[in-house]
Amino acid sequence: MKPSKLLIIGNGGAAVHAIEAARSVGHPGEIHLVSNTVGPAFNPMLSPYYLAGQIPYDRCFPFGKNFYEDHEVKCHSGSPVVALDPINKEVRLEKGKKLTYDRCLIATGASPVLPEIQGLKDSPHVMTLRTAEDTIRLHHLLSSVKTAVVLGASLVGIKMAEILIKRDIRVTLLDIADQVLPDAAHPECGSILEEYIADKNVDLRLSQTLEGAEDDEKSVRLHFRGEQPLTTDLCLVSIGVRSDMDFINNSDIETDKGILIDDKMRTSADDIYAAGDVSQGINLLSGKKEIIGLWGNACYQGRTAGFNMAGREVTYPGTMPQHISSFFGLTFARLGDIHPHGEQVRVISNRDLSEGSYCLLAYDRGRLVGVNMLNSYKNAGRLKTAIIRKADWSKYLSSFQNTLTDQEIGMILATLLPQ
Amino acid sequence: MACIVACLDENDLLDDGLTFRHVTRLEKGRYPEANISFFSISCLHCGDAPCVMVCPSGAIYKRDEDGIVDINQDLCVGCHSCALACPFGAPQFPEGGKMAKCHFCVNRVKHNMEPACVRVCPTNALGFGPMKDLATQKAEKASISILESISVHSGSVKE
Repeated sequence: MKPSKLLIIGNGGAAVHAIEAARSVGHPGEIHLVSNTVGPAFNPMLSPYYLAGQIPYDRCFPFGKNFYEDHEVKCHSGSPVVALDPINKEVRLEKGKKLTYDRCLIATGASPVLPEIQGLKDSPHVMTLRTAEDTIRLHHLLSSVKTAVVLGASLVGIKMAEILIKRDIRVTLLDIADQVLPDAAHPECGSILEEYIADKNVDLRLSQTLEGAEDDEKSVRLHFRGEQPLTTDLCLVSIGVRSDMDFINNSDIETDKGILIDDKMRTSADDIYAAGDVSQGINLLSGKKEIIGLWGNACYQGRTAGFNMAGREVTYPGTMPQHISSFFGLTFARLGDIHPHGEQVRVISNRDLSEGSYCLLAYDRGRLVGVNMLNSYKNAGRLKTAIIRKADWSKYLSSFQNTLTDQEIGMILATLLPQ
Repeated sequence: MACIVACLDENDLLDDGLTFRHVTRLEKGRYPEANISFFSISCLHCGDAPCVMVCPSGAIYKRDEDGIVDINQDLCVGCHSCALACPFGAPQFPEGGKMAKCHFCVNRVKHNMEPACVRVCPTNALGFGPMKDLATQKAEKASISILESISVHSGSVKE
């Protein structure tokens, strides 16, 4: 029997790990890769480090340019897939070419969202940061712009504010929500961050609703509800991303916000798999299928898909929301559900950063469900394990004071998590 | 805790709370059946290491020849992703912000010496070597030492 022909759509962490996995189990068949980009896989997580001058540009491509040759991959670059036909097992590329497959992986990732606001999309002074091209463009702009508005106090947004400030650019950081990191930080943690960030010369403005954008020759004027307009050289939008799956027909493959997958990364269509930011797999905490857009998660999902596509049955149970990021000399971490609701929710924290670090633990019925930490990472991985295992903290909760040290938490974890 | 001291010395770490090896005291049971045991742990050089998978820059890698999980600090960007991925709390971030952790005393091992922690462990609780050898010989010896130390503790509680 002829070995099956694999087709990978996309060229990020999930795609690379799928190829690596398939070849590692000796998959003898052809592997084709289709991508709208040209060149090796880019890791968007690394662009802030490049923009801050910490790493050279070529290090944003962690797998290198020889990966494809080394793994005998036939690349079809610079032409995105515009149609996928699961019946005839065929894709059509933008430039007209058609490719068939035996098994296909959709690993197209996600793209930044621009709000549907008049004048925003077409403005040459408005941009998002995700791709290698965005990174290069912003790198060049950093030496010419004097003022910048960052729309969205997300992890990317705050990180961008830091990079801009370091280049002596005047920064206004805005969010529609009434706190920074509305998804990732508990309101208490958010307010500590707000104070900290405002102290770093960032003009932080919350509860701001953008209503319009007007281009000037060299700048863009942003209009906000009930506020004076802001004129800026550059507007960076960092309000989130959306799965890249326009080329699939919803009647062919089940989708929600992303492409729904099972624990083998299979979609509802035969021989079609999905992995990475385009996919929607199990959140271990809620038990529901959710998009969890993380580099590590994408790599695990890609690897799982690659094994299964090559005929080696492997499952990946899922993951949970988690972030760790450093900005302005502070390390922020978030694990799990930081906004639990219900009568039996209890939140314990040491309230401020005065001791050098901050920790907030959110419990539901005695089980840890969410964590925020500032300048504290040593217990992070073990706290994550405690959340996943649904360990019962009840007997410790009654004796907790609002003074949690890393050491105290570490000792409880040692008892809760038998190695 | 001789293992921790040996590790600090070997890696020129300051005694400021940052260590590659941790010893945890485990209390089990209730009086009069209570006992205390100690657990010494560092990076476990996992077979399928999550830190290697999540590292965005390819800085962390598993050595083909001996399975040691090591880090190329030149490639590390200090993002802390590994700290979130490791279920054992192994990754540490000393001054400079690049990840450092137990590297299995790779230079000592290369010169046919034991890792520093193994060399100083007075009860032979720590061992090293290929898994199958450990399972048959050293682990057995180590288990006996651990059991003896536990029984001494519970014995003294009973008196």
